[in-house]
Amino acid sequence: MVNSSWNVMFRHFHNATFVEWLVLLLGLVITLVGVAFVIGGVDLAMLGGSFYYALCGLLLAAGGILMILGRTMGAFLYLGALAYTWVWSLWEVGFSPIDLLPRAFGPTLLGVLVALSIPVLRRQEVRFSSKGAV
Amino acid sequence: MRRPYLFATVASLALTALPFAAHAQFAPAGAGGPPSASIPGAGKADEPARDAPPDPSYFAGPSAYAPQAPGVNAANLPDMDSIDASALPAMVPQQSASPAREDWATYGHDDNQTRYSPLDQITPENVSQLEVAFTYHTGSYPRPGQANKWAAETTPIKVGDGLYMCSAQNDIIKLDPTTGKQIWRRDLNVKYESIPYTAACKGVTYFTSSQVPEGEPCHNRIIEGTLDMRLVEVDAATGEFCPTFGHGGQVNLMQGLGESVPGFVAMTVPPMVVNGVVVVNHEVLDGQRRWAPSGVVRGYDVESGKFVWAWDVKRPDDHSQPTGNNHYSRGTPNSWAALTGDNALGLVYVPTGNSAGDYFSGYRSPEENAVSTSIVALDVKTGSPRWVYQTTRKDVWDYDMGSQVTMMDMPTPDGQTVPAIIVPTKRGQTFVLDRRTGKSILPVEERPAPAGNVPGDTRAPTQPWSVGMPALRMPELQEKDMWGMSPLDQLYCRIKFRSAHYVGEFTPPSLDKPWIMYPGNNGGSDWGSMAYDPETGILIANWNASPMYAQLITRRKADSLKLMPIDAVHYKPGAGASAEGNGPMEGTPYAITIAPFWDPFTRMLCHKPPYGMITAIDMKHGQKVLWQHPLGTARANGPWGLPTGLPWEIGTPNNGGAVITKGGLVFIGAATDNLIRAIDERTGKVLWSHVLPGGGQANPMTYEANGRQYVAIMAGGHHFMMTPISDQMVVFALPKGTN
Repeated sequence: MVNSSWNVMFRHFHNATFVEWLVLLLGLVITLVGVAFVIGGVDLAMLGGSFYYALCGLLLAAGGILMILGRTMGAFLYLGALAYTWVWSLWEVGFSPIDLLPRAFGPTLLGVLVALSIPVLRRQEVRFSSKGAV
Repeated sequence: MRRPYLFATVASLALTALPFAAHAQFAPAGAGGPPSASIPGAGKADEPARDAPPDPSYFAGPSAYAPQAPGVNAANLPDMDSIDASALPAMVPQQSASPAREDWATYGHDDNQTRYSPLDQITPENVSQLEVAFTYHTGSYPRPGQANKWAAETTPIKVGDGLYMCSAQNDIIKLDPTTGKQIWRRDLNVKYESIPYTAACKGVTYFTSSQVPEGEPCHNRIIEGTLDMRLVEVDAATGEFCPTFGHGGQVNLMQGLGESVPGFVAMTVPPMVVNGVVVVNHEVLDGQRRWAPSGVVRGYDVESGKFVWAWDVKRPDDHSQPTGNNHYSRGTPNSWAALTGDNALGLVYVPTGNSAGDYFSGYRSPEENAVSTSIVALDVKTGSPRWVYQTTRKDVWDYDMGSQVTMMDMPTPDGQTVPAIIVPTKRGQTFVLDRRTGKSILPVEERPAPAGNVPGDTRAPTQPWSVGMPALRMPELQEKDMWGMSPLDQLYCRIKFRSAHYVGEFTPPSLDKPWIMYPGNNGGSDWGSMAYDPETGILIANWNASPMYAQLITRRKADSLKLMPIDAVHYKPGAGASAEGNGPMEGTPYAITIAPFWDPFTRMLCHKPPYGMITAIDMKHGQKVLWQHPLGTARANGPWGLPTGLPWEIGTPNNGGAVITKGGLVFIGAATDNLIRAIDERTGKVLWSHVLPGGGQANPMTYEANGRQYVAIMAGGHHFMMTPISDQMVVFALPKGTN
């Protein structure tokens, strides 16, 4: 059983429902955005700019990977990153809609999708934790 | 399920790569090897002598003494003789000196170039009823296979029974002002090859002769300068060439300019007639080479077309035409903005640009440095400067003067008035000068400016700031001003911002990494100029906040990018260089890469809006801002150039000025939303707008005919501003029977 741990990690791919595939896709997008944040954010920080992107990128990447792995924790990490984004945005530009648009609008839209995915992830976790116990 | 995965992966990877692209667009530090061994310095401020060995580079331009290429003298006109200024006949008072109430007699309405009309039929109360009275198609627009270089920028003039205008390629047209019916059209056959940066014809000039009696042909004339450098006079009644002017109605303005090719130099503004002298200036394509054709300003006898004087910056005491194969001094600052004539003082106010090879100043002479990016008051009988007022010292930011200056009477605290000119600049610093002396009436501070980054090219220690006028500019950029649709493009722009040198408005050019120019060469006030209401004292200014992102590159790197001047033997149109884009600056150690400070992927500017504003300043009561708001809605703008349809006034880039009417209205197009709008002069409120068939990048005008007030705007669009090109002039009026 060389591949057993690998199989366990991705067992939720088997017989996944359409909605579960969508959640997986969402996790992938969040992971890639997180990676982009980390790469660009480290670059920016080294140039003397904001540290927000590098830090937020770590949260996003971790959250996205956990969502791909079918963990509810991933969704909560994303929502944590979103909360951090709002706090940072308000600190940087205040309640200025035009400034909040690039910072918070897209992430909040994604956040709605992530929130909707929490029940799906929960169901998955319950299903596989019970199966895993057998 | 595999396809969405694939799509998402590709899209996400593309987004991931964005931050890297921020660096890749411009040369990394040290690219192309170290700066060349030829460190610039003294002794290089003069153009190469006639017997200098030719530059062996594949990318170089020809000798300045090389014969002019075919087509440069567009109509193969013989040379013109000279005439002494003392022999000029006295000029009769012109229509523009005191225009009839219903006329718009010159480019800026009247001799003062106020852009103010005493018409008051259209008012804030009835403006919402405006409708299209007629449209006119000029027939000039890009044909298949032609690059889009169009931006007509035309303002018609109206004198008596005629509405006179030019097409973007210089055909002169007389229309019936009530119907738009064409009365005559003088085709000038300007070729596509002669279009420089832009096919523009800002307007024509109406002139009444003192030599030809009333009732004879060419008593009243229409004068025009063309893209292919002809000065043309035709009869206002028939459109026939004036036989007593030049050679059959035309003068070759390429005489004495030396080596050139079509499209290198061009005239896009209406010629200015002052005391019997018609003064011509021309643009020279930016960024090509240090020894580009001269920026000489010349005066001709408006009756005969004979040469009167030249103002050649590097020959201050010699106002004659060059003989033989000699030419006016190469590479001198050129003037492409509309001139303002002052018949009373015998002056013409010339807004100047900087020397050729715009972003490197190491090879400029002291004579050039004294008059670049200035207002120069030339004596219209001699061509000698009477005074010079410099708005940017040793300009390497392309803050060339694009606006026509406006004459006005400036009130002083003791209740007197001073004859003044209002001088707008791309810096957003507006200077108000005593036009007799060139001294500033309002306080101006000399403030320290940063030292240079390029070896051998020092910067001026101070720059002038007109602190007595409201600054038409935004605060200096900060990282947090970066904008975008999402955090990803905002991150890209933050990296781009932090990757560049930026220490404010006078950040010097740099080789090691890009630098940000803000306001930059599209900022502040441009050729739309300002409008001034002499009755209320309200000054209307529309202006831009759109930074540029540039970097000097080594000659080796420039050659690898295939940058070569337009007149180089191996030059091909569309390859490498373009005006307001990358330029070879051949003959200097460096070339330039330059683009808007934007995200090239979404084609959105990197910083947050507004990008364009309109401001009303009360000139009679302490130069206070009466109102100021963003100009231009988001309706035709958005990422990837897609129209969002949103009505919000976000403030878009804008080009083209305003008109003020006694009715209390300001008419302006200018913004990239393709609207013309009417604004309440007192409150700034937008009362009416109308969608144009193309971009409204032109100064509107207004006139009255048969008791009906009309508002006309050329909806020609603008290639650089990416607004739709059209060949339509649209004329509005209230419905018949309203008044």
